[in-house]
Amino acid sequence: MIDWSKAKPAGHWQLPFEGAWPTAVALLPSGKQLVAGNEKGELFVWDLPGDLVAEVGKNETPPLAPVRQLVGHENGITRIVALPGGHTIATASLDHTVRLWDLNAATAGTAEVVLDRESRERKAKKGDKQANSAPGVTVAQQTDCVVLKSHADWVSALALSRDGSQLVSGDYRAQVIVWDVASRAAKQQWQGLAWNWIVALAFTPDAKSALVSEVRYKRDDFDVPAAALRVWNVTDAQVTLDLLKAQFPKYDPQAASYEASQVWRKFVAAGLVAVDVSPDGKLLAAGQGGETDKGTIHLLDATSGKLVRSVGNHQYGVTDLRFTSDGRYLLSVGRDTTLRVTTVADGKELLALNAPRGGQFKDWLSALSVSADERRVAAADIAGLVHVWQLVDD
Amino acid sequence: MKTHCGSSEHLSRRALLKGSLTTSAGGVVMNWGGLFGNPGWAEEVQRQKKHCILLWMNGGASQFETFDMKVGRPTGGVFRSIATNVPGTQVCELMPHMAQQMDKIAVIRSMRTSEVDHPGGIYLMHTGYRPSATVRFPEVGAIVAKYQGRPGKDLPDFIKVSSQGDAGAGFLGPRYQPFGIGSKGDLPPFTNSSLAKEVESRRHELRSFVESQYTQDNPSQLARMHHEAYEAARRLQSVQQKFKLDAEWDKYRELYGDSGFGRRCLLARKLVESGVAFIEVGQSSYDSHADNASWHKGLVPPMEQAWAGLLTDLKDRGLLDNTLVVWTGEIGRTPKINNRAGRDHYVRCWSTALAGCGIKGGLVYGESDADGVEVKDSPVSEGDFFATIYQSLSINPREENFAGVRPVPLAPFGSKVVTDLLA
Repeated sequence: MIDWSKAKPAGHWQLPFEGAWPTAVALLPSGKQLVAGNEKGELFVWDLPGDLVAEVGKNETPPLAPVRQLVGHENGITRIVALPGGHTIATASLDHTVRLWDLNAATAGTAEVVLDRESRERKAKKGDKQANSAPGVTVAQQTDCVVLKSHADWVSALALSRDGSQLVSGDYRAQVIVWDVASRAAKQQWQGLAWNWIVALAFTPDAKSALVSEVRYKRDDFDVPAAALRVWNVTDAQVTLDLLKAQFPKYDPQAASYEASQVWRKFVAAGLVAVDVSPDGKLLAAGQGGETDKGTIHLLDATSGKLVRSVGNHQYGVTDLRFTSDGRYLLSVGRDTTLRVTTVADGKELLALNAPRGGQFKDWLSALSVSADERRVAAADIAGLVHVWQLVDD
Repeated sequence: MKTHCGSSEHLSRRALLKGSLTTSAGGVVMNWGGLFGNPGWAEEVQRQKKHCILLWMNGGASQFETFDMKVGRPTGGVFRSIATNVPGTQVCELMPHMAQQMDKIAVIRSMRTSEVDHPGGIYLMHTGYRPSATVRFPEVGAIVAKYQGRPGKDLPDFIKVSSQGDAGAGFLGPRYQPFGIGSKGDLPPFTNSSLAKEVESRRHELRSFVESQYTQDNPSQLARMHHEAYEAARRLQSVQQKFKLDAEWDKYRELYGDSGFGRRCLLARKLVESGVAFIEVGQSSYDSHADNASWHKGLVPPMEQAWAGLLTDLKDRGLLDNTLVVWTGEIGRTPKINNRAGRDHYVRCWSTALAGCGIKGGLVYGESDADGVEVKDSPVSEGDFFATIYQSLSINPREENFAGVRPVPLAPFGSKVVTDLLA
């Protein structure tokens, strides 16, 4: 494992994934395979060299093309998680499904794909007449997957238990489903508040509970939307901790009151769209998303629900976050096109990767993933690429 | 000696000639005082008792997330289309209730209008005219109030429920000003008297006496307006029950959907039933420069359920034949999704919809190109849109009112009624 206190980037590569916004990414545990998906529902698998720095140099993007396309989703990919075994991933989509893909499964034919279309068009505009006609890359296509179909709306959130035995998924009808990975069966489900959307999920380390964030957009300007951030027991589908209630005892999520609007404005902002539970299970993290002035990440006590501190240095909202394996740091990406590493104990920023693109509202990093040894970090960038950083600690 | 005359006092030679020549075509109806109105036309309009409900999508709802889907195209976004009860016609998946009402509505997919920002667009899509420094054009609600209103009734003829637009009655004058009520249908404080009934009555008599004495010596429009406004506010006290929904909301919650907009639509139906000529019901805000999909995912479902409920309710009560339901905002939204996941303002090609009151149901009029960038077929301007609305309401869109000495037709010169939309 990397020593995060000494971590620094040794290399940074940008894999083209143009044509539609990359919205999800997962490094497989080895860090040698990467899966990314976009808003059209396209999924590709890249093989990464064992040592990117040694093989391609510090900031030189390796001449890598995807090796496999996972064909099946019919609408945008919202989350990808990699199972511990090393060759299976789970994907969630706006097509109302969750799918399990064994990346060792047989492929069924090939396809030529172009993942640098926009770059080609830019070159063509500058006079490169061959740019648009250059051949694409040939990828093997895999259609074989297990489709989990119980959702009736966009599946917007997905999380995996640490042992890889359970998945939890949530949708835009506020339905949460706990899946047994081995049997592919729904083993528990519950409903959030009416009209709400499940936007973020995380299992507790023991996988007995799940942290669930739900929110919705206003239904008109005079509306104070409901929000909830709750810990649910996944066995009996009961709420064991209501974090907004713990913060604001008088808060009624269904009330269009001044108090509710204050909770919204200060704590929920545009929605707590990214959550995680620390490895020791003592802290919960919830990051404000959307075009908030600052993407604040609340750190909450997992027993009392009280706010421990608020951290984060993103300009505009957070899009994804996770604790490091030692629980001492938080990794987060956001709408300022940066990946930031924040010290949990004091909120100080340890590291910022990728520069803010400048100006107001310039793209965003939409998802984050870390290899098992934490020496590789990947982020999906809506500008049409996937970042991979190789970190060292010496 | 007067150096100029007020608009209501002015009768131009042209107007006089025209008025005498066009009686059978609707005649000339002058400004807000209606001093030179054509009795024949007005009586015919009154007889038909038509109403209009404007569902105002403030900020500009996206055509790509409602009625003009471009699934699979670069401009298409993340939503998918669903079938409707009109074979071959699809709408956004966010509109399952309206999908079952498509046989009642006509969608215009080829709006091309001329004001791309909110203030200008709001003015334009309430009046049919671009903002002008010299003419205060009246809103459609004021025009409908003038031609379809019932003077002297307890309820105002033009009611806005949580909506936008500040053009008001324009040169038609204060008599046709909108009566605005809040987002929950709450009446303004002045509609409630804090006085005991007999005390209020005595005060009213005293004030009426003083007022009548004053106006005998000072016959001014202002005094008359004050009197009319006061009387109208006073009359409202007797019809407050019309605005109360709580008692019957449980009965209609499922039909209209459990939302503020649903309640406002139910109120609109009640007001139509009570004889109000024009009701505008607003929903905010569709100005989704960022996170367009999420905004529409939040806003469209309660809106479309309420709209579908309104159409069903009007139909069931036999009111839809004489009630025009207009669905529009001030602008459409860009084909391109920006790097805030939003869509910006766009007026080169966007969508509106009409229903009831002689509008052909199950019709999609006009067409956008493959990516929704340009109108491919049958463009409809703001003028054409309003001309069609007026025609549907049996109001001659070429009818002229006067802004000072300037004759102003209800729909701008050159506007065409889209006859294909009319049954």
